[in-house]
Amino acid sequence: MAEEPKLAEELKKMEYEPLLPVEKKLISYSLILGTVLLGFLVWISYTFFPAGH
Amino acid sequence: MEEKKLGISEDWLSLWLGSFIFILSLFVFAGGDILGWGISTKEWKDVSKAMSPVSKSYVGVKGEITKIDGKKLTLKKADGKEEEITVTEDITTVKVGDTYEKKGVSGFMSLVMTYLFMLLVMTVGAAAMRANIGRFVIGFTIVFWISYGCWLVGHYAYIAATNAAKSGVPWSLKLTGEAGFIVALLAGLAVGNFFPKFAESLKEAIRPELYIKTAIVLMGGLLGVKAAESLGLATAVMFRGLCAIVEAYLIYWALVYFIARKYFKFSREWAAPLASGISICGVSAAIATGGAIRARPIVPIMVSSLVVIFAVIELIVLPFMAQTALWKEPLVAGAWMGLAVKTDGAAVASGAVTDALVRAKAMAMEGINYKDGWITMTATTVKLFIDIFIGVWAFILAYIWCAKIECKPGQKVGAGEIWNRFPKFVLGYAITFFLLLVICLPASKAVQPVEKEIGILKDEITMAEKQLPSATDPAALAALNEKIAASKEKVKGLSDQIKMPKKTIADAKTATSASNSFRVMFFVLTFFTIGVVSNFKKLWEEGIGKLAAVYVLCLFGFIIWIGLVISWIFFHGVKPPIVTG
Repeated sequence: MAEEPKLAEELKKMEYEPLLPVEKKLISYSLILGTVLLGFLVWISYTFFPAGH
Repeated sequence: MEEKKLGISEDWLSLWLGSFIFILSLFVFAGGDILGWGISTKEWKDVSKAMSPVSKSYVGVKGEITKIDGKKLTLKKADGKEEEITVTEDITTVKVGDTYEKKGVSGFMSLVMTYLFMLLVMTVGAAAMRANIGRFVIGFTIVFWISYGCWLVGHYAYIAATNAAKSGVPWSLKLTGEAGFIVALLAGLAVGNFFPKFAESLKEAIRPELYIKTAIVLMGGLLGVKAAESLGLATAVMFRGLCAIVEAYLIYWALVYFIARKYFKFSREWAAPLASGISICGVSAAIATGGAIRARPIVPIMVSSLVVIFAVIELIVLPFMAQTALWKEPLVAGAWMGLAVKTDGAAVASGAVTDALVRAKAMAMEGINYKDGWITMTATTVKLFIDIFIGVWAFILAYIWCAKIECKPGQKVGAGEIWNRFPKFVLGYAITFFLLLVICLPASKAVQPVEKEIGILKDEITMAEKQLPSATDPAALAALNEKIAASKEKVKGLSDQIKMPKKTIADAKTATSASNSFRVMFFVLTFFTIGVVSNFKKLWEEGIGKLAAVYVLCLFGFIIWIGLVISWIFFHGVKPPIVTG
């Protein structure tokens, strides 16, 4: 019967992987899109779905 | 070698179970209230008065007849209160002053029937999942009775009463009857953490996700009726909920992934499921993301075990924080629960507790009686949108990973993954919601303006009647009497005009209150079983520290607070309807 893998061992096995440029892009695009969309979605909500404002 | 059991998934099963109970409840529209015997629990000082069937048609009543109107009798009960009942038998022989008794189902019998019905339905479900039936029946029986016991304890007046004096007790914790959820959770935590062997023996019936998903399917119908009465508000809640989760996905995930990679040096294989687990939707998101980036199964499993533990902590803490700080903004509180609390069970459950706590505080502080269910609806809407988008998010990640980061051998990215990851129970919620919305909306639209008109006419009648004693001129008196008679005639005509749509709404409410009785029981089962699966010993496991550190830092450092800000932006000023009359 295979032994259940231990978390500590699994984490020890983990190798360091530097943050790739593509990952940095993914993170920054996601945050920028989130911020831009925030304004747009708030405008749509307040304009077309008013409820108490 | 153990044979692999291939049964229906909990996701599909919850869709079928919830739909089945919902369909049974709809028989009200055909004249048969076949689930009205379901248990309803009230705040109590005397436990014998705590339980009763949810539908009045199953409740026994005895009293002196004070009025007879066709098949309708008004009875004065032993407590002095009057109640109108509709009878089916011949009542030509009874007269005012006689004692009349309608036999009904006792509270305890209603509980036993609820247990037997749920046991039967869930056992069929367990068979479909290829579970061990014997162990399931025993486990479910124990889980049901402990859970109900907790629910009953939570309704004790000293714990639940929001107005101690009115309830006849010197003091109260003012937690409302929903305190029963917290009692069930604590009981579950005690069983899971201090009696592991006992918890293991219940394993087949410890299925919080199945219970909460079935409850959510049932909740769809209830919320459909509410939405029909306030369509504009319901639409706003849905759209704003959608906006809130788009923001949460984009901001939460990126930040957690960055922190896990940059400061905690997690590999991509660990950081991506961890980011989804902490930031989006707990267990299912961690598993979906693990699948999308082809992580080894151990990764999402380890992440999931942490998700469950911290979700319980959130479930205990956040509703009380919301009650303290957000009682003036009930829907902000609801959305916050949906955005901040991970796992379906804990999020929707915390929405239900917040619903009770916030309404109780608004009532106590400003005398505002918000209609119940809107805070839960907001939390549920937000959580369901999050669930729906897990598949989309997993697809986006799989595509980026394969195209830009690392494509594992044999990895293919297809849009079919979106459907595979789509939570099927959401279909049940949508169907029950829209079905009752479609049934009730035309009726509600017909009733509301006419009721407004009737209200105005009744005010006019009252005013005219007040003028009667001071009217001395016979002509003026006659004019007033004529006006009153005409207005009364008009009220009668208008009331007749909306008789049918009003009956439709009344039937819908009877149907949903019957299914709601089972929804509440599924909620209680969820709380207890969440507690049982939350093994806090996991936190002492070697190596968990680093994983827990990033979880605590992100969850309590900014996820909860960003969730609060997003909820505030989209839901502040949006208030639930207020109970009038």
